[in-house]
Formats: sequence, structure tokens, C-alpha cells
Amino acid sequence: MEDQVTQFGLTEGLVITLVGVGLVFFTLTLLFLLFISFTYLVPIVMEKINKPKQIVIKKDDEEMLINATKVSGEVNAAIAAAVYHYMAEAHDEESTILTIQKVKKAYSPWSSKIYSVHGSQLNR
Amino acid sequence: MNTKRLFIVFGAIATIMISWAAASAAGLSNQTIGEVTQAAVATGAPQDFNALAMNGLMNFMSMTGFANLTLPNFVMICVGLLFIFLAIKFDYEPLLLIPIGAGVIIGNIPFVAGNQIGIYEEGSVLSYLYFGVEKGIYPPLIFLGIGAMTDFTSLIANPKLMLLGAAAQVGVFLTFIGAISLGFDLSEAAAIGIIGGADGPTAIFLSSKSAPHLLGAIAIAAYSYMALVPVIQPPIMRLMTTPEERKIRMKPPRTVTKTEKILFPLVGLILTTFISPSALPLLGMLFFGNLLKESGHTERLANTARTSMIDIITILLGVTVGASTQASVFITTDSLKIFALGAVAFAIATFSGLAFAKMMNLFLKGDNKINPLIGAAGVSAVPDSARVVQQEGLKADSNNHLLMHAMAPNVAGVIGSAVAAGILISFLSYFQQVGGM
Repeated sequence: MEDQVTQFGLTEGLVITLVGVGLVFFTLTLLFLLFISFTYLVPIVMEKINKPKQIVIKKDDEEMLINATKVSGEVNAAIAAAVYHYMAEAHDEESTILTIQKVKKAYSPWSSKIYSVHGSQLNR
Repeated sequence: MNTKRLFIVFGAIATIMISWAAASAAGLSNQTIGEVTQAAVATGAPQDFNALAMNGLMNFMSMTGFANLTLPNFVMICVGLLFIFLAIKFDYEPLLLIPIGAGVIIGNIPFVAGNQIGIYEEGSVLSYLYFGVEKGIYPPLIFLGIGAMTDFTSLIANPKLMLLGAAAQVGVFLTFIGAISLGFDLSEAAAIGIIGGADGPTAIFLSSKSAPHLLGAIAIAAYSYMALVPVIQPPIMRLMTTPEERKIRMKPPRTVTKTEKILFPLVGLILTTFISPSALPLLGMLFFGNLLKESGHTERLANTARTSMIDIITILLGVTVGASTQASVFITTDSLKIFALGAVAFAIATFSGLAFAKMMNLFLKGDNKINPLIGAAGVSAVPDSARVVQQEGLKADSNNHLLMHAMAPNVAGVIGSAVAAGILISFLSYFQQVGGM
């Protein structure tokens, strides 16, 4: 295989270089152009996709809606209270509990506290 | 600090090379102690118990590493130790250099050939592990992990930085020409040129396809220069930019929607592989990995790809690439040329990235201007060169954080070098066909 390729020299190398650099630029430029257009296109397309559809109430749904109205007053009150709390008191109070996590370390005389407490005294 | 590092690294390499050259010039006998003892064993016919024991012992001696040690082996073991030293002492890509360094030592332990031990012996365990390198299996798997790790957000937010990734590939092609003029043939030159892409897996992938006999040297060169990014790039960056340019602040990237993040790997995959199908194993896996990450529904797969799997492959790739540098195959003048060309490739890639960034600034206005330093991140050493850009930016202005911006050309460089590899492969096969006619 290599014997065949050896016949080609600098000229072919130059050709490959020029075409190669061109192609690399071409590929990444294409990606660049695509994504530049995406920055404009995606929001428009997404808006169209996410457009609120007209709600058509089917018969099953209708029954469900009727069932839904039968929820007891207590449940409604609980939901309303929860929503009220969520809307009004969201992040008003932060938890003040601090948790200090203990880090487990293997004992080593090099990091032993006792050595730093006594310091040079132990060396004597 | 940096000059000291540079001195240590190149000083050590030079010492090894000089000692190697001196030893070979002195015409040391190539016959090892092992060969001598083995010859002695062969001549003596075993008779009584004592002679048998003696001969057995002699035979064992002839099989030991001490008996078979040759100078090249010794030199390569020193190189392996140097790699491990650099990784531990200076923190140069320890995740790569330690496996490679250990591999270099493993690959150069002297042994008697023919017992299915060495990496180049058919049927040996090491040769089976090396299969993944030889056939280019490991690099795409590494790319899968890289894809699952990489955040393309900054690139999607500022797509024009994609061009910087392309600009740095000029280094690949210029080195390619340099290698041809140094006497390498086209397929070898292609494999050497890709070192300029600063992308280890791509370099291994291409050389396993086009120049398997140079694979060890190319892989070692690619990974050593990747490790030396913090040493090689800053001087070039300072040379190419003025202090004012280095202080340019770039506006923060816009927020990127999830849809765009999902679309990027899909569009990237289809587009780049349609243009350059030869790079399919690399780019396919890269974008697939990224899709796993961004889809939001395959977190488990993405997590495995970017942690356990890439770790396993890195271990195997590192050790086997290291072991492939068996001295008898590795210590040649070709390897030296490859090391020299690799350094040039890297410098040119950095240079062209910076130059292109400066050129882009001529067309950009106001706060759209880019800091030319990020052009240096166009080489695909992720994330090292981006980190170097960040450090250099901070040196010019301690409040200017360029890391996010530099990641964009950095990941574009990965795509760019894989595309370049694909283009080179397709050209080589074309020239093979033409040559065959």
C-alpha cells in the first residue's frame, strides 16, 4: 500500500492541503450558517408548535369535568390554602438550620492535630 | 516557573537522546548477556544432577530481564519513568501520562521473544489489548465519552467561533506538507500532520488506518504535546497579540434553549458525516455521546459514557500505546522527526488560530469583537487549551474570564480535527486507487 502512495510527492501534498483546508472551513462554515439561522428560526418555529390549541371538549372529558366539580369543600380549601401559601410566602423564610458535614479522614501522623498542638515540644 | 519546566522536560529528553546516540556511536555489542548464556546452555549436554541444575539455572538466567537488557530498552524505561515523573510532579495530563508511562515500562521490559509475551507477538495478552488501538476501536469510544462530557452551549450561543476551530486545522495540513518534504510518504505524512490537531484519539485513529508502524511515536508525540499545552501555547499567544487585544472583553453568551442543544448533535452528526463519511466512527460517536447527554432522558447512559467507560478505555489505550513503544520498533530517526514535526504542528495550529481570530476582528464591530486569545483554543486539546486561554486572559486583565468563550473554539476544534482526519483518509484512499491503476 505504501509503495503506491510513495509515488506521490509534494504536488499532491499541496493539493490535499489546499482542498483539505477548504473542506474543513466549508464544513464548519456550513454548521456556523445553520446555527446562525437557528438562532432566528428556532424561536419562531417553537412558538408555532407551542401555540395553545383550541380546546375541544369530548364527551369523556365532559364527564370528568362534572366529576371534578364534585370535590368536597375541604379538599378545595386545602388546595387554596396551599396555593396561597406558595404564592405569598415563597422564599420569605429560609431554613436557618446549618448542617456541618463531618469529613472522614484516615488517621495519619502527618495531619494529626496533636502534633500541631504540641508543635516543637514533641521534637525535643 | 514555565521556563524551568520547559528546561526540565526538554533537558531530560535531550539527555536521553544524547546518551542513546553516544552509546550507539560507541558501537556497543548488541549481544546481550542472555544470548551469551543461552549459547552456553545450548552447547553443554545435561548429564548428572549438578549439571542439570546448573543448566536450568543458566537457562532461567538467560530468560531474565537483566540478561536480555539492551540499551534502547533501558533508554525507553527511562522515558517511561520521565513521563510518570512529569505527571506526578507537574500534573501534566496525569490521567494519560501515568498509564502511558507505565505502558512504556511494561513494553520495554526485556524478554526472550517467542513465548507470547510482547505486544507485537501474536496471541499474547498485550497484543489482544493492543487490538483496540491497532484497529481503531478505542478512539471512537473515547469520543463517545468526550461527547457525553462536552457542553456545546457556548458554541451554539456564538456559532461564529466555529470558524476558529477550522482555522487551527491549518496546522494539520501545513505539517502534512512539512512531513512530505522531510521524506515521509503521503499516508505517513497525513498521520503525522494530525498531531497538529492536538487530538490524541484522532491521531491514533488516523495513524492506525494509514501508518500503523508509526502509531507508537505519533500517539506519544500527540499526548506529550497535549500535556505541554501550558508550556507551548502562552509564548505564541503573547507574541501574536497586543496587550490591548488581550484585554478585550467579550459579551456573555446568550442563553441556549434545550431544543437547540438537542438539535446541535443531530444536525452536526448528519451534516459533518455527510460531508466527510470517513470520519464517521469519530464524529458519529462524538455527537451520539452528546445526544445522550442533552436528550435529558438517557442520563444513565451519558453518565456511564463520560465516567466509567471513558476511564476504562483511557486505561487500556494509555497502557497499550505506551507498551507499543517497544524500543526495537520505536527508537528510530523517524520517531525523532515525528517529535520535531509534532511540536511545529502544534505551534502552527496555535498560530493560525490566533491569526484567524485577529482577522475576524477586522470584520466585527463594537462589543461583538472577540478576544484573539481564544483563537489559540482552536486546537482541540479539550479543555487544556481553553484553560490556558483563561489564564492568559487573567494575566492581562484580572477580571476578564475567557473560559466559557474559549470552550467554543475548543470543541469546534474537536469537530474540525475529526473532519480533517476524514478528509485525509478519503484523499489517501483516492491516491491509493490512482496509484493502483
